[in-house]
Amino acid sequence: MKKILALVLTGIMAASIVGCGAATETADAALSTAGAAASQAADVASSALEDAGVDTSAVGEKVGEVSSEAQSAITAALSSTALSDGTLTVGTNAAFPPFEYIGDDGNPDGFDIALINAIGEKLGVKVEVQDMEFDSLVTSIGNKIDVAIAGMTVTDERKQQVSFSDPYYEAVQYVIVPADSTIATADDLKGLKLGCQLGTTGNFIIDEIDGATEQTYDKAIDAVNDLINGKLDAVIIDKNPAEVFVSKYSDKLKAIDGKEFEFDTEDYAIAMPKDDTVLQLGVNAALELLRTDGTYDKLVEQYIANYSAD
Amino acid sequence: MTEWWADVVAKFVAAFITKDRWKLYLNGLGLTMEIAFFAGIIGIILGIIIALCRLSRNRNGGKTFLSVIAGVYIDVIRGTPSVLQLLIMWFIIMKNSTNSVLVASLAFGINSGAYVAEIFRAGILAVDPGQTEAGRSVGLSKSQTMLYIVLPQAIKNALPPICNEFITLIKETAIVGYVGLSDLTRVANQITSRTYEAFMPLIGAAVIYFVVIKILTILLGILERRLRKSDNR
Repeated sequence: MKKILALVLTGIMAASIVGCGAATETADAALSTAGAAASQAADVASSALEDAGVDTSAVGEKVGEVSSEAQSAITAALSSTALSDGTLTVGTNAAFPPFEYIGDDGNPDGFDIALINAIGEKLGVKVEVQDMEFDSLVTSIGNKIDVAIAGMTVTDERKQQVSFSDPYYEAVQYVIVPADSTIATADDLKGLKLGCQLGTTGNFIIDEIDGATEQTYDKAIDAVNDLINGKLDAVIIDKNPAEVFVSKYSDKLKAIDGKEFEFDTEDYAIAMPKDDTVLQLGVNAALELLRTDGTYDKLVEQYIANYSAD
Repeated sequence: MTEWWADVVAKFVAAFITKDRWKLYLNGLGLTMEIAFFAGIIGIILGIIIALCRLSRNRNGGKTFLSVIAGVYIDVIRGTPSVLQLLIMWFIIMKNSTNSVLVASLAFGINSGAYVAEIFRAGILAVDPGQTEAGRSVGLSKSQTMLYIVLPQAIKNALPPICNEFITLIKETAIVGYVGLSDLTRVANQITSRTYEAFMPLIGAAVIYFVVIKILTILLGILERRLRKSDNR
């Protein structure tokens, strides 16, 4: 009986290995065709979009004309490797309210998610959102996901690995401290126990602070909990989530603007495979369209201005 | 080929040499071993006590109160994931403690204690009942028999699985990253989040774990052989 079982299992394994091999080959062939088409389209699209970008900022009346040029960039983007399957697979880390969080239906929701869905609509592709750890987003682009939208700041280090869309939001890091804390300047942070989310800008800032002990968490709320429980002296995190957390624990915590600590302001952008120019131009064009037709402002109003923690 | 090699070297340098990153791995390994060491000690002490409680019987041969408590403890610990036990210890039971190594060691020690208890129980039950009877008939008390006759033999029986449990414990501590501690696994993640290159840090950490555990296995093998010398007649 055991022998028969072993034989059957071996058979199944062999079949699946062969199956995988064949599937990969077909996929590779499809990809290389798509790639060739994409690179041809890239030149056309890039010139079209440069015009589009200049026109929108310079002449408001030409909106109709502009959108038609943006439309051509979008059409070109559809031939990019990432979109060739008709689906935009998006990575995010749904623990960063109000930009992304797990909604009432158990799926990721928030400003970023609404924005990428609107972009997907403009591009005419299906959007699939995958929730994952923030620090593995960049390494997953191009293999597990097509793009990442996760309140991600444009940095030079990240630019070496991925390309970014035009910035869609400007933010600054905030410092959350206990309500009775006397921390006020950059010097006060030296030598303290500081918490942050792994791989975020706050993480990079703490690396540069002299003598600070850094504790990195997968979820920002874990760091905030440890701050409330007295295990940390301060938490460094982006402005909007900081405000959300502090509004929830206003009796115990307060948030201080990072400008007091001389932190730089930073830009959030959508990360995508490096040098996939067609996709980049298409996403930028879609973003531009959303700004001109008022969708962007509506989303800011709905998700960021009116966000309140449960 | 040379280009490929240069790429590998560059990735290696970025993962281990740049900004003295190897020190981070060493610190991480230090924390891993520190937590595993203290948790191991807590686990063994707790394990022996729990095993003895679990085996305790009243005059009529029925279960004692202590035995029931020990049974419940083992059931609860074995029936819940260790990540949850760590999070509960960290965020609920000892939420105001700032000694992170202590909290983590306690969480893992209490977890390990349940498994060690079962190992010891098996070790004690494996000692021939004739040994106890012999001890009692030469006039030793119940506890003397346990302490001088049964336990020494039980510990020898239990040693190989105990070593196994300790090795599992070292690897189990890899989850302390959940509560923000920088153990070896977390350090590998932190470096990946800087270099955006996962291969070298992850493989590097795996190699470090492997080497440390291999060394430990060899040392424990020597100890085991020494204890078995008395078996040769």
